[in-house]
Amino acid sequence: MVIKHKWIFKTEAPWSDANEKMLALDTGGWRTERPVLDKDLCNYCGLCALYCPPQCMRDKGDHYEVDLKWCKGCGICAHECPRKALTMKPEGDFANES
Amino acid sequence: MKAKKGQVSVMMGNAVTATVAALCRPDVIACYPITPQSEVAETISGIVADGKLDAEIVEVEGENSAMNVCRAASLAGARTFTATSSYGLVYMYDTILETAGFRAPVVMANVNRETPGIHAVSSGQQDLISTRDAGWIQIIVENNQEIADQLIMCYRLAEDYDIQLPVMMNYDGYYLSYLNEEVEIPAQEDVDAFLAPLKKQPKRPVIVPGAATGAGTHGMEMGYVEARYKHWAAMDRAKKKVDEIDKEFGDYFGRYYGGQIEEYKMDDAEIAIVASGSAAGTAKDVIDAKRAAGIKVGLVKLRLFRPFPEERLIQALKGKKAISVIDRSICFGWKYGPMCTELKALASSIGNVPILSYIDGLANLDITIPHIGRVVDETAAAAQGKAYQDITWIPLEE
Repeated sequence: MVIKHKWIFKTEAPWSDANEKMLALDTGGWRTERPVLDKDLCNYCGLCALYCPPQCMRDKGDHYEVDLKWCKGCGICAHECPRKALTMKPEGDFANES
Repeated sequence: MKAKKGQVSVMMGNAVTATVAALCRPDVIACYPITPQSEVAETISGIVADGKLDAEIVEVEGENSAMNVCRAASLAGARTFTATSSYGLVYMYDTILETAGFRAPVVMANVNRETPGIHAVSSGQQDLISTRDAGWIQIIVENNQEIADQLIMCYRLAEDYDIQLPVMMNYDGYYLSYLNEEVEIPAQEDVDAFLAPLKKQPKRPVIVPGAATGAGTHGMEMGYVEARYKHWAAMDRAKKKVDEIDKEFGDYFGRYYGGQIEEYKMDDAEIAIVASGSAAGTAKDVIDAKRAAGIKVGLVKLRLFRPFPEERLIQALKGKKAISVIDRSICFGWKYGPMCTELKALASSIGNVPILSYIDGLANLDITIPHIGRVVDETAAAAQGKAYQDITWIPLEE
């Protein structure tokens, strides 16, 4: 057997630095919808970041911005936002963006 | 260097397990009592309570927790010990799989007993068979001395940097668990000396409080494939390692067990019996008697069941004119006993000879000298070209 696979784990057992390998699951690829922010409605309360399961809302000083590399598109942020500043939009709307 | 003579006394199998496990200096023990293993849990708890072993005993409410504790402690770098049987073994089934997948080198004594389905509080190897694909190394021993010696070897095997796998040492419940037999218990300093090479090998990764490390949690897609491949390859490596450790143990303590298999009078044997556990001891007496009567028969004692000792079995059995396998368990879905079914997978390498399957010794029914005598006679007849039954449930024909 000729193995072409490049080893992911440095160790014999599947051990890794959780900051790297767990995020390396690239959960952004699971998404069918993404949260889109209306900045005029946002009052920077932070509830979206608090509820976000993969903790991918980034603090921008006056609002939170989703990190699309890890956002699974679950929609919890939009559901929890008291001011309805976040709306889930289908990924198809962004198909032409890189 | 040779070990000094250990203390010789008459000891019960379960007491031997606990005594020797303590000599291997486990850091963490989580052991829930179950018949026929209970004395192991009681005795090792007593050893710790008496201050003779510095270990953490985690009192658990069941076997599932016992294995979870052992795996977690092992991942934190501790040497661990647990023991169970039957219902206990299957109650920890999910955590058995995780312990193997996480590559935690837990050592467990499994005191063989029939499994749930028919509530049989009696001996049998069905529990061992029910976990054969769990990814653990499974070793079967024959007598109380072998319990003592193999248990020490289990730690060398499990914690070896090239292996990093949990090891399940099996011995017949009731037959060995409650059997009082002469046993030489090695001295503490000799057990320490034999396990010392483990300290010189590279350090395996461990959980560090506060650090963002993880084990076994990243099995997505190619990560899963890679982890499974490495596990599979380590199982394959374990075969040779069992032989090497057995040789080293024998050189030091003076007792050799043959490693993956023990061959008894196989050199000039024309026919072979394959058996495991305490029944292999009885079989040796039968082999002697049948040889005195002119039948050239030998015994292969299967010591390593997972990984299956493919190469050693082919080497031992090639050229024999007929082979019989005595199973102490059932394979639901195959016609033959589990060990026989596995052996038949080697038939193309062994040769086109009769391979007879015998089911015996279920539910504490003895695998007697006449039973094994009958197996030898029928194997000899099959070797001469006479008709034979390919599967026989011995108790049903008595």
